[in-house]
Amino acid sequence: MIKRCENTRDRIGAWMDGELSGSEAEEIRVHLESCRACREERRQLEKLQASLKAVLVAGPSNVSFERFWSGVEQRISRKRAWHEDFFGWVHDLMTPPQLAWLVPAVIILVLTGVFSLESFFPGARLAVQRNNFAAVESIDGFGRNVAVLRENETRTTIIWLYQNQEGEDESIGEKSESSPSF
Amino acid sequence: MEFSDWDLVQKCQAGETSAFQELVLRYQQKIFMVVLGLLRDREDSMDVAQEVFFRAYRKIKGFKGGSSFYTWLYRIAVNMAIDSHRRQKRNPLEFRENMDRVLEEQNEVEKDPFSNAHDQELRAGLTAAINDLTAEHKAVIILRTVEGLSYKDIGEILGCSEGTVMSRLHYARKKLQGKLKAFL
Repeated sequence: MIKRCENTRDRIGAWMDGELSGSEAEEIRVHLESCRACREERRQLEKLQASLKAVLVAGPSNVSFERFWSGVEQRISRKRAWHEDFFGWVHDLMTPPQLAWLVPAVIILVLTGVFSLESFFPGARLAVQRNNFAAVESIDGFGRNVAVLRENETRTTIIWLYQNQEGEDESIGEKSESSPSF
Repeated sequence: MEFSDWDLVQKCQAGETSAFQELVLRYQQKIFMVVLGLLRDREDSMDVAQEVFFRAYRKIKGFKGGSSFYTWLYRIAVNMAIDSHRRQKRNPLEFRENMDRVLEEQNEVEKDPFSNAHDQELRAGLTAAINDLTAEHKAVIILRTVEGLSYKDIGEILGCSEGTVMSRLHYARKKLQGKLKAFL
């Protein structure tokens, strides 16, 4: 019964609006005959509907429309500034159906722009993370090392064996300056 | 001879401004009522309603008659009123002043739809409760209550399904009912 009341109350507004199919409407009607709580819900909704109508419809009934057309005509005949037209056009583009096309279009434009930038400025590394790999490991703890450098753009891997000069620091930057001995 | 909306639209598309004037005369009051329902300020609503027709005039060449003229026009009106409503919401002081003016206007006996009723409070509470609704909820309430449009037409105007209209109406009414429980 509670479930049936919930179902009825969810659809009672649509039923009052005459928007339910014949069988659904009949179901609601039959339930209302037997359920006092749902009848009370219907009464409240009917009162709400009548009050809404009174506030929204009867309120502005004394408005004069004598000068309405002249206001529209003035707008039509007035030459608008270019920026008003432009913003109007942009605003129209921002409606949801237009945005459905705009979003992928903007993504494609941005990606195209980024890739183009890279071709105009070869030093720029904006579009793709190259993920080059470099590592230096000591082999035996006595100054012999192996360095591995993998360069993704040319798919080249270099393995480099060398020995530290005496007293040389083991930091990577300095190792790169040392002379490798094979 | 009475021309249909579509006849007048075609005349407008051919450059006859007088045909557009006829369409304005037909729909000015309805459009104003919808905008007023959303904005609750007469001056702003009059201005927005005129702007709606101006926008329609500029776009009318692109109207192919796929939907009825009035749903097309209402769609412009609701979108413009919702935009304007959102701008008002960003300026709460001005919005509150407008609200007070609406309440004052409605207190004038000759305009007051509740003048013979015992529940003046209900009217004030209802006006405030309507204004607390989201723009989408307010739009469905107004299109249904003021214009008596079908869920199908409302869906076309708002760009959503009939099911969404039904759901929005249900929740909007629930919210109003909740706020006005003491009066109903």
